[in-house]
Amino acid sequence: MSETLESPATRTDDVIDPILATVISHRLNAINREMNDALMHSARSALISVARDMSGALMTADGTLISLANSLPIHILGSHLQVESLRRHHPTLRNGDAYLHNDPYEGCTHPADFTLLVPVVIDDVHCFTLTLLAHQADIGNSQPTTYMFDAKDVYNEGALIFTATQIQRDYEDVEDIIRMCRKRIRAADQWYADYRAMIGAIRLGEQRIREMSERFGAQTILRHLKWMANYGDEMMGAAIRELPAGRAEYEVRHDPAPGLMPDGFRIHAAVEIDPKEGKIIVDLTDNDDCMPNGLNLSEATTLAGALIGVMTSLPKQVPITGGSFRRIEVKMREGAAVGKAAFPHSASLATTNLLYRLIGAVQCAFANIAYGLGSGAGASGMSAAWGVISGHDRRFGDRFYVNQLFSAFGGGPATARVDGWINFGGGGVNGMLLRDSIEVVESKYPVRIESVRIVPGSGGAGKFRGAPGQEITYGPRFSEMELAVAADGMVHPPAGVHGGHAGGAAQMFVVAPDGSEKPLPGLSLLALDAGYRVRSIDNGGGGYGDPLDREPARVLADVVEGYETAERARSIYGVALVGVLEENTLRFLPEETVSLRSSMRG
Amino acid sequence: MIANESNVCISVDTGGTFTDAVVTIDGTIAAVGKAPTTYGGLVDGFFGAVQDAAKSLSLSRDELFARADRLVYGTTHTVNAYVQGKTAKTALLITKGFADTLLFREGGRPQEQTFEFNVPFPGPYIPRLQTFEIDERIDAEGGVVRALDESEVRDTLRGIKREQFEAIAVALIWAPSNHAHEHRIGELIEEELPGVAYTLSHRLLPIMREYRRASVTALDASLKPLVEESLGAVEEEVRRAGFSGPILLCTSAGGVVPIDHAITHPVYLMKSGPAMAPVAARRYAELEQFRGDVVVVDTGGTTFDVGMIQDGEIAQSRITWMGPEGIGDLVAMATVNIKSIGSGGGSIASVDEGGLLSVGPRSAGSEPGPICYGKGGTEPTVTDAAAVLGYLQPDFFFGGRMTLEVEPARQAIAKLGERLGTSVPQTAEGIIRLASESMIDAIHGLTINAGIDPRESVLVAGGGAAGINIVPIARELGVKKVIVPRHAGVLSAVGMQYSDLTFRSEQAKITNSVAFDAEGVNEVLTAIDERLDAFAVKASGEHSAVWEREYRAEARYAGQVWEVEFKLPIGGHGVTQEDVGRLVESFHEAHQKQYTFVDRDSAVEFISWVGVTRGILDISNSTAPAGTWHGRPEPLAIRKCHFGSVEIETPILAMDDLPAGAIVAGPAALVSPTSTLVLYPDSVARVTPHGDFVLTVGEDTSTPVNHPAEGNVHV
Repeated sequence: MSETLESPATRTDDVIDPILATVISHRLNAINREMNDALMHSARSALISVARDMSGALMTADGTLISLANSLPIHILGSHLQVESLRRHHPTLRNGDAYLHNDPYEGCTHPADFTLLVPVVIDDVHCFTLTLLAHQADIGNSQPTTYMFDAKDVYNEGALIFTATQIQRDYEDVEDIIRMCRKRIRAADQWYADYRAMIGAIRLGEQRIREMSERFGAQTILRHLKWMANYGDEMMGAAIRELPAGRAEYEVRHDPAPGLMPDGFRIHAAVEIDPKEGKIIVDLTDNDDCMPNGLNLSEATTLAGALIGVMTSLPKQVPITGGSFRRIEVKMREGAAVGKAAFPHSASLATTNLLYRLIGAVQCAFANIAYGLGSGAGASGMSAAWGVISGHDRRFGDRFYVNQLFSAFGGGPATARVDGWINFGGGGVNGMLLRDSIEVVESKYPVRIESVRIVPGSGGAGKFRGAPGQEITYGPRFSEMELAVAADGMVHPPAGVHGGHAGGAAQMFVVAPDGSEKPLPGLSLLALDAGYRVRSIDNGGGGYGDPLDREPARVLADVVEGYETAERARSIYGVALVGVLEENTLRFLPEETVSLRSSMRG
Repeated sequence: MIANESNVCISVDTGGTFTDAVVTIDGTIAAVGKAPTTYGGLVDGFFGAVQDAAKSLSLSRDELFARADRLVYGTTHTVNAYVQGKTAKTALLITKGFADTLLFREGGRPQEQTFEFNVPFPGPYIPRLQTFEIDERIDAEGGVVRALDESEVRDTLRGIKREQFEAIAVALIWAPSNHAHEHRIGELIEEELPGVAYTLSHRLLPIMREYRRASVTALDASLKPLVEESLGAVEEEVRRAGFSGPILLCTSAGGVVPIDHAITHPVYLMKSGPAMAPVAARRYAELEQFRGDVVVVDTGGTTFDVGMIQDGEIAQSRITWMGPEGIGDLVAMATVNIKSIGSGGGSIASVDEGGLLSVGPRSAGSEPGPICYGKGGTEPTVTDAAAVLGYLQPDFFFGGRMTLEVEPARQAIAKLGERLGTSVPQTAEGIIRLASESMIDAIHGLTINAGIDPRESVLVAGGGAAGINIVPIARELGVKKVIVPRHAGVLSAVGMQYSDLTFRSEQAKITNSVAFDAEGVNEVLTAIDERLDAFAVKASGEHSAVWEREYRAEARYAGQVWEVEFKLPIGGHGVTQEDVGRLVESFHEAHQKQYTFVDRDSAVEFISWVGVTRGILDISNSTAPAGTWHGRPEPLAIRKCHFGSVEIETPILAMDDLPAGAIVAGPAALVSPTSTLVLYPDSVARVTPHGDFVLTVGEDTSTPVNHPAEGNVHV
């Protein structure tokens, strides 16, 4: 604990009321949710206001996490690093301050995640820090995308990097910084409106924390949070002590990309469960050096990825408090691409591609320690369903637009207990992101989305099945549109475990006006003319366990609901179906299924 | 006798287990009635409850109906049908390419599931095989991208006819911008499938966001056949019984509408009964002059509902998930914010394979009901546990209309106890404790998450089964004051007596503050006014109401996605360019209040226009209960009740025997024909001037000591 928490005021009263502790943590969660909701509902870019690609967090002054309610874990689990960075550069913090942070070398996820940090000083003691991170539609990169996969380094990437730069003093903007941003960021008015919305939301959170501190006393709150942190630590310890001891390594590859990484890229994770000590160690030190491209992971994302991998691999949920992660040790290497990206290597895509692979590797490693733990791997990369689109909209006086879509989602992996999550979208978000409304996208941007649908049979088969992938087709309505994508999982689809199959591979095509299709490489920046469309299929998730062990009734239900095909029901799952799907007469034959399966096992 | 000039109102609330009735005369509660809800004939429960109330007025059922001026009806029938999957076989017609809209929903997952990997993703409300893609497309501006292929639609409809679908939902992309295709499909349905219920999304809720519209449209269509039949039956029977006044239905918004309006918009009945509990709670809190936030709980046989009143307003929400957030089914219309869980007096207790006791969400309902009802129930419930612990008076349950059979309940609980290795009282207490736990969770979920501290709030506890465990719940929550209305057992039915005719009409009309289309806006406001007028004329019926009207708009800064609803500083149509400044200023204020900032440099986009009309029916000034006090009461009985590890001689008192100002210290059980209030040791009840009970739980129990022989009462 920091000296802030150990200040004399905290020691006046040591009494802990567990109910008050619960009330306090619930209430802080409510504040965090209110802050998140306020930003989501008042921002301009669809990225924030529709998809909720943003996260608030409440922390103590030293960066102990208090609440991540309703936030994306990938955004938050490394936020304490940003708080440390803030305190390093600004030892004295005052009420009314606000700081802008997007420095991936000092704790930010990636440069597109503009983060505001606001200190709350009560009775001259810095008690809390609020952070609010939002993925910007544009940050002034050399290309109109926030995912610069071909950036040789941070200079080539091109964005302004703010390392805890003061952007408000006495609750007023530092205009110098605003001017810098407005001269650099495309669609500057949209950016500035989003910035105002962020300031509004974080100041609302600040106001709520102050009200709450008046009600309970800041030091009482901090004392109880410390207790809650210890409680979370103990609960996590108890959960780990119930796990089997073991160690497993897992290695996966990101898809190759001509010119950038011809052989793809190896991601390695070693996981060790030590129930005796109540500890889990994720060793990521056997990973290669940073690449001269934008895919390197920042310290914040490597850490968060490892933690997400662990938390989602446990067989049951543990309560999350500031102490829940103390028992997870993440070893990483300075200068490694899956580790701490070193300046000036670019970490432009640090929140997606290698990250999703890392999370999958940790989950699969857990599965290999013992049946029942972990999961298959989930969908990876960002296909055109998550493409960054830009161009000019003739409906609004040829206004420039740029935004990332979240219009279809890759499938989640199966676990030993359930099928994969349909709206998964990648391990970093774990289904927490919201989907675009087709109508909202079409009203704001000059695109037409022709279809979004499940791809039957694309979920990795298994005793439990990965979620199927989704297909989307869209294109510009009036004039040329630029599209940036960074898909993965086309060559190396997400793996299954314990005999479970891999999920379906991702695919992308450019569809010409005459309907002919041309395959699109995973990492692409292209222009689509009016009349051209992109058709994009996301991964299905990896399966868990042998498909021949799947309950036939589930296989039948899968076919009826369109998750699976009748052909695969027989060829992969060994289920003998009779009847006609469209006439609702489909059923399975139990005896034939048993004999079919035994011959397939043969 | 009811004086000729008196105003008589009957309200009936059909719950999952019981049907409640309340009769007011000139706004004062004169009688209450209760009867089991029967699934066989929904009408039986309805009439049973009214008959029960009539009896206490020394009238026959039909005499009461003949004398009544107004009938207000709320029913959980629709939501129960939804929960139990007993809605109509419904086809969904949706734009080609978007058949999976109901499966995808809007993404996201319940908030507590940040790291959850072991929860399955639920299927769509309308199964894939019942979803039909229609080849057509409208664009954002209302232009036709692909014309409707009518012959294809006819083919689809004929297939739907062959498959004997009972209802059709039509939700096309961009129908709010141009409803021509939906409208035409409606006509084709009338031609091809005359008489089959259908809902068109643009008529029901013309809002942007295809999932929201599709979800609410699918729900509405799927409820239509059932609601038409059940409300039709009620109306027919009520008319036959001699009632000639207006019949009003309670809506999810906490208001009432005429019955024919309800039949054509059944999705508004989703929270029909439960939405009335906060209306009643607000009334009780006012009567007891409690200020501040109010938490209201309503414990029925099947479900436990929590609602809130913040700053005197009943909390509402535009996002109501039926089932879990993000993966249930969304109802996107303004709805009283109620959290419901499957827990109540009828919740069934069971022991799983691993030897763990669980309670609910399965319920014995009223048929067969708890074991102690002696109607064939075989699985022990929360009510059985209360009976076994001695809290319920076997010969005075339900006002003596039902005699409880405690012994079979005891045997069933003993069987659970054998598997758990616990005694009968321990097992019974465990059942009540587990039921209480899930209720406490639900209260926390709604209140603390909304920034309300239950400990600083007043808890109003209603529902027939609330009294069984409201004291331990209040103690666990740290609530200091609890109001248990005398008519707790019929809380929603009481609320219905004090609700207003409410109708909200909205229509999209996008314009902005820079180029404000005053003419277009006035057209929309005029259309809204016409609808409000039509509603008011129809709704008024023979009953006089004082009508209020207000106008609201949903607007946002140019480029935003989500709208802020705010009250317009205008009195309806007749808006001119000179008013724009005032509209914009009102929007800034609302935006500032909600999001703490304004953007005066930005244009304001007005998205939709709303009119709300309210016909105030409540003409009462008092709820002083009828009946006379009988002085110092004799206990109906003194029974051995289990509280914790001890068995205590506990007086059973009739609520009607307790005068205003009386103070009763626990342990005691207070019974009325509709509910039982268990006063655990360490709790005190005071009878208010209005005949309700204010409980003090926990610390503040300095006053009387238990003295069973004297009935434990201090006047």
